[in-house]
Amino acid sequence: MKKKTRTKFVRYLGKQMKEDYTALQIYSRDMADLPNLTKLLFNNTPDGIILPRNVEDIQRVYNLANETKTPVIPRSGGTTGFGGSIPYNKGLVIDCKGLDGELLIEPIDQTVTTSPSIIFSDLQKKLKLQGFSLCSYPSSFYSATVGGWISHGGHGIGSIKYGNVVDQIAEMQVVLPNGEIKSFSEKEDISLFFGSNGTLGIITEIKLKIKFDIPLKQFGCIFDSPVELMKGLKELQDVDPFSVWFLNPAQVSAFNDSFGYNLPRSYVAIVSKEISYEEEELTFSNNFNNSIRKAGGQILDKRYIMDIWDFRFKTFALLKEFPDFLVSEVILPIETSAKYLRKLAGLFEGSLRAEGELISNTHYSLLLYLPIEEPINDFKKSLLILKINKHVLKSKKVGGFPYSTGLWFAGYYPQIYGKEMYKRYKDFKKKVDPKNISNPGKVCSPKMRFFPLFKLKSIIRIASEFS
Amino acid sequence: MSSPNEWQVDILEAAQQCVYCGYCAVCPTFRELKWETYHPRGILDQIKMYYLETTKEELKSDISKSLFDSIFACTMCKACENICIADIPLLKIWEQVRQESFKKGRWNPALLSLYNKVKDTQNIFGLPKEERVSWAGLANMVMTKRTQRKAKVAYFVGCQASYSGKMEGVAASVIKILRKARVDFTILGNEEWCCGSPVFLAGGYSVGKTFAKHNLDQFKKLGVKRVVTACAGCYRAFKIVYPRILGDKWDLEVLHISEFVAELLEQKKLKYTKTIKEKITFKDPCELVRHCGLIEPPREIIEKIPGVRYEDLPSNREEALCCGGGGLLKLNDADLTRQVNSRLIEEIEYSEAEIVVNGCPTCLDTIQQGVKKKGLDVEVIDIAELVRRAIGG
Ligand SMILES: Cc1cc2nc3c(=O)[nH]c(=O)nc-3n(C[C@H](O)[C@H](O)[C@H](O)COP(=O)(O)OP(=O)(O)OC[C@H]3O[C@@H](n4cnc5c(N)ncnc54)[C@H](O)[C@@H]3O)c2cc1C
Ligand code: SF4
Ligand code: SF4
Repeated sequence: MKKKTRTKFVRYLGKQMKEDYTALQIYSRDMADLPNLTKLLFNNTPDGIILPRNVEDIQRVYNLANETKTPVIPRSGGTTGFGGSIPYNKGLVIDCKGLDGELLIEPIDQTVTTSPSIIFSDLQKKLKLQGFSLCSYPSSFYSATVGGWISHGGHGIGSIKYGNVVDQIAEMQVVLPNGEIKSFSEKEDISLFFGSNGTLGIITEIKLKIKFDIPLKQFGCIFDSPVELMKGLKELQDVDPFSVWFLNPAQVSAFNDSFGYNLPRSYVAIVSKEISYEEEELTFSNNFNNSIRKAGGQILDKRYIMDIWDFRFKTFALLKEFPDFLVSEVILPIETSAKYLRKLAGLFEGSLRAEGELISNTHYSLLLYLPIEEPINDFKKSLLILKINKHVLKSKKVGGFPYSTGLWFAGYYPQIYGKEMYKRYKDFKKKVDPKNISNPGKVCSPKMRFFPLFKLKSIIRIASEFS
Repeated sequence: MSSPNEWQVDILEAAQQCVYCGYCAVCPTFRELKWETYHPRGILDQIKMYYLETTKEELKSDISKSLFDSIFACTMCKACENICIADIPLLKIWEQVRQESFKKGRWNPALLSLYNKVKDTQNIFGLPKEERVSWAGLANMVMTKRTQRKAKVAYFVGCQASYSGKMEGVAASVIKILRKARVDFTILGNEEWCCGSPVFLAGGYSVGKTFAKHNLDQFKKLGVKRVVTACAGCYRAFKIVYPRILGDKWDLEVLHISEFVAELLEQKKLKYTKTIKEKITFKDPCELVRHCGLIEPPREIIEKIPGVRYEDLPSNREEALCCGGGGLLKLNDADLTRQVNSRLIEEIEYSEAEIVVNGCPTCLDTIQQGVKKKGLDVEVIDIAELVRRAIGG
């Protein structure tokens, strides 16, 4: 960063800006610890980190950034693994956690107005005290923020009943990259920000729809094959579940090892249902059993269900024994993905673990974990990243697509959200961020034809020839 | 340094187990400071940078500055370790980093001054040893016969209840309880030395070890088998640190006053005779609940009080909020302590309790200050003081 530019920011921000080596390193990663090799590709280390105190700070930062053409990278919980919150090529990371805000629960409207930086578990705790609950939330419940989830394009527990996060936003305030503060309440506008990864501005306040806190009851089932599982996902929609979450055979084995279970190496699904009274539970139980039988599945013994469900926020813990691991995520259609799912189960000698969540009547998300048994060098790790993501991209053949764009899947926006949405996104981006200062390199690759994954491929090829 | 190898962890290896889920964002001081350098996950990143051999020497000074600053912004509340999905022994790691900062001579002056005070006077206030039992005089109690006599039970008063005017009622209440239940007990008197907790928390183990040895010798000399304390810090030191330092030689049973009262009530040696009408809540001290797993006894003894109206705070048991005063933070950064404390005070206000009961002098002090600052009409007392009221002492 040029000295003059730096002075402008420092003069305004003072102690709200950090530039020391240690802090810069900490902010140069997200959940995915990238191999050093990627440093040849991207300049992930920021020039500085800013902790804005309020909306005016953000407005001012954007104004200065426009003046000096400085990239601005929003970051909240830093819990995604898609590189959305780390720089593509230096710039200033804006740590949105500085944005505190009053929490306002409106019982009659059933909404809560909050800062985007609130962590889901904190928000849920506050809502529960008043008898309300979030409609849906990610399984990174204890660390992800509401703002980060919207921008990442999140789905999660409860999405099948209440939709994705866009369906739950009543209103949202954003500081646009041109410095304008704007509120949006139309679904059409709000959806622009879904999966925008901070490229369209920084969300500064959110009014979320909430629901009454109805107790959840869990039920479990087992399917021998992906075909049965898919049938089950379809059948289960008739019972109006709150969440349908499933594990692939490799992940079931990991549970077996960790909990001393002896579950068959098949697909295990845990279904959650909002149930207020006993008769409702009885009726649901009958309907659930019928649906599972129709799909060819079996009912899971009760003693496993709560253990597995209680572990839903902690499944990353099953990776702690391994020196390293890789993660990726894909969205798949129920109708056409059984074969693809079977293929995944056979990859990497059967070690690719997966967890799925039903997110709509037609699609489910699949989180993939690849445990790495022995420490490996940068080349090998990069190759594995490529390999796993190649399989994510292959899902296109069955109508699937990557979960989000971020840095790694920059360029895949049209595939994820559709061409029409992409056009709207691009028009809006051009209008509000003509200099492309808000999180450049994300969502749309700077040079469309060379999105990061392909770039990484060529770098590895060249590097391995030299080594 | 005198820390036995078996409870030292390979700090780099442990840090590398982090799966970066970020759940340790629950950290009360990170929540106030917000920079990821204070996020436990970020502290682990700094540890990796500091201890990795490949890190260039010229960068280490920048890294250590940030690392030591972060490590002393920690209240040692253990919320991070409690939630960590990879079961990383974070508290041991934090302790070792504090030791490293001690070794490198990087303590701040306030810490050094506390350390020297404790070393020279065996109490945290730097007051004369001879004044250790002056609390008894203030409470119109005569302790001469109880001091240094042979007995199976010892009441370890602790520096705060011994010397601090704010804790005046705590020791007197414990004595009333023990007398009422006709427990044959002793106190160490002027020979009671600081349990060493503040020194251990600062990372200075060699001095702490001499304290542990001294206190053990005193207990042994008097034939003590059970040690009762009303201080969460002393309790943690006896339960967790002394066994590490003294090994099998530390074979005494340690009881928090709430555990001892629960036992006395069960054995009908103690009986509640008074009704308490005010709405009560209990703040689980971090050192009792997360460090030592002590959850039910305080609740049990409160709920047995006739006519009691008790309600847990919204964050309770293992998820209890930190008061902000632990880990010597009050000494390192009083403003940060106040900020952290204000979150707890919000919960106390929400609870609409008229009495906040506690089991830790540090919590008691910080909550009293927080409540006063917010202008709440809430009484803040130690659990021993509550029991004393209920037994009509
Ligand atoms: C254990 C675990 C489980 C997970 N489970 C799920 C799951 O079930 N569903 C799911 O969708 N994801 C899941 N994730 C991924 C991730 O946690 C979520 O997507 C999360 O919502 C991201 O929030 P964050 O606050 O960490 O955002 P960050 O990672 O900080 O940022 C995400 C993106 O949003 C942008 N951004 C951040 N804040 C703002 C803001 N205020 N304004 C504008 N842009 C902003 C960033 O630039 C970045 O591009 C999981 C992750 C982990 C570690
Ligand atoms: S012990 Fe408490 S204050 Fe210290 S890092 Fe852990 S959570 Fe934060
Ligand atoms: S909770 Fe544990 S594993 Fe998760 S980020 Fe914190 S230290 Fe790492």
